Amino acid sequence: MMRPRLRHALLLFTLPVLMACSQPASVAPAGLHGNPERGRIALMQYACHACHQIPGITGAKVFVGPRLTGLAERKYIAGRLPVNPDNLVAWIRDPQKIDPLTAMPNLQVTQEHALDMTAYLLTLGHQP
Amino acid sequence: MTPDKKRTIWKTIVATVAVLGVAGLGGAYLFMESGRYNVGTTSQHWQPVHTLLEHGLLKSVRYQARNIEAPSLTAPQMIASGAAVYRARCVQCHGAPGVAQDDLGKSMQPVPGPLVDVTQRWKARELYWITRHGISMTGMPAWEFHLRDDEIWSVVAFLMHMAALSPQDYASLARAEPVK
Repeated sequence: MMRPRLRHALLLFTLPVLMACSQPASVAPAGLHGNPERGRIALMQYACHACHQIPGITGAKVFVGPRLTGLAERKYIAGRLPVNPDNLVAWIRDPQKIDPLTAMPNLQVTQEHALDMTAYLLTLGHQP
Repeated sequence: MTPDKKRTIWKTIVATVAVLGVAGLGGAYLFMESGRYNVGTTSQHWQPVHTLLEHGLLKSVRYQARNIEAPSLTAPQMIASGAAVYRARCVQCHGAPGVAQDDLGKSMQPVPGPLVDVTQRWKARELYWITRHGISMTGMPAWEFHLRDDEIWSVVAFLMHMAALSPQDYASLARAEPVK
């Protein structure tokens, strides 16, 4: 049996942790429909991390495309489109339609997977 | 300290290291046998493991390629035939400026890197070595028995040139017929 004082101390320590856990892990901005965790795997399965460093995805230190951190806080995608879920989906699915000179190729990302990627990328900055 | 005491201390150190070593190996063996390690490619390495393996790869290639002498790689004809080989053998997994890799290249783990940045990482002789011998456990095949030596060097010439290409440049180079 634990000594009462030790038990109290433990409880005091674990309570805030438990409370933090019960809150949603991330606050998604309005207009997001995808699933962030599926998006994380989709980003990997479409080899996005071959050119971009992406938090939460294991990979090399590449500098071919920009680092995909804090996208939610940025103003423009590729210096052209205001950052919002619809524009990010459009860019991911067909970047050369938006900027014919971009070196980023069309990776044949489906609408569903682009939504999931967008959900992951736009919640990144909001995670605790 | 008496010699006896000294000996006891050394014995304790050696015994502790031996026991820990055996326990570690045993634990690793049991973990493997349990099948808990996920070999699927949708589950990634830990970043420290990835970084360590990548570092080992870099050191190995540097060492293995140290005595290779690269020929001159600047002739436009050589670069053009390299582009043709690249289009036929490399772009499937590595992509090119403005061109995506095929699905098989997208989903590999480790992911085949884009090669537009190779000059930041490798010297010409190292690229030749990698292309010729491949890299084990990465999916990178050895081309020694499938490409002629001059074809391998022409690919290297093209790679050294690729960072300077826009998507449009690549498209026109790769469209050209291979120079015989």
